[in-house]
Amino acid sequence: MEAHNRDLYLYKRLNAQVLGVSMDDPMTNKHFAKSLDLQFPLISNVLPWMGTKYGAYSRTPPFLPDGTPNWFGRRTVIIDKNGIVRYLKDGSPDNQEILTFLLKLEKEFRGKR
Amino acid sequence: MKKQTRYFSQLGILFAAAMLGLLGGCATMEPKKPPAMVPTDRGTVIYLEKYEFKRPPEGWALMRNVEGGDFELGFMRLEKGDFPTQTTFMYDEFPYGSSRELEKRADYYCTKFLFNSGIEAKVTKREKATVAGREALLLEMGGENPVQKEKAKSKIYLIKKGNRIVSFVCTQWRPLKGTFSEEPFGHFEAFVQSFKFLKKDFYEQLEEEMTKAGI
Repeated sequence: MEAHNRDLYLYKRLNAQVLGVSMDDPMTNKHFAKSLDLQFPLISNVLPWMGTKYGAYSRTPPFLPDGTPNWFGRRTVIIDKNGIVRYLKDGSPDNQEILTFLLKLEKEFRGKR
Repeated sequence: MKKQTRYFSQLGILFAAAMLGLLGGCATMEPKKPPAMVPTDRGTVIYLEKYEFKRPPEGWALMRNVEGGDFELGFMRLEKGDFPTQTTFMYDEFPYGSSRELEKRADYYCTKFLFNSGIEAKVTKREKATVAGREALLLEMGGENPVQKEKAKSKIYLIKKGNRIVSFVCTQWRPLKGTFSEEPFGHFEAFVQSFKFLKKDFYEQLEEEMTKAGI
């Protein structure tokens, strides 16, 4: 999160918006954002349909007895201007790879205009 | 029958010896990796063709970032005395925080530095500095962890590098009853003051490419 915050000026130049999604409640997210001085929005998705839709949660155990995920990983998703998922990666975000990919996308987008 | 078994066992030894010879041959065939630090005639070393600096004397071990981590490169030395008597110093491209303003970054940095070690670090010095012609901020911090019975003393340079802030950090660890030594900080200072960036880093290259593309 801190790394994304550090790179915000580059994301802005590349016309990209960073959104953080977590299963925590809004108050927890608010404190978390304050502690890291985050300058981008955090979405609280407690249920958590977003993580499930984008495949961030493991579909194999460990699951809680009622079927809700007990474990979830980190996934970076890049969605282009047409709403198409162009990049998916699990684990800690690789900011240099992300920035390089966004540059490629922005060049591609500008080329089509 | 016994003779035949002996024959096969001898053959087995021969085969093993031949395999070892082959594997040994393979090992020598591998291209030799160049050393991480190449000495220059200026009394400095060049590290992976990326940086040039004065390295500390014998006894200091090189710490390298090989798979991505908290710092780019550094040195450490275990010193005489009870644990944790040691000093480490490093060049870190991503110091805590995100502000691109030195003063703001320093404010945040001081709240995070050594936090995980349980040391209650206080700022003992904070002043403007210049490192390699770049605008910098010098911080000196120190504190104790009475539970772990250890203390630390640090010297930090936060430096403006293009649109980003990088850092040099030296931390000396001692048991609570131990005495700090100034000598390792001298090696750190020589490292920092001699440090040269020989190549553009990823962010400088990216920004250059963005400008070229009109972004």
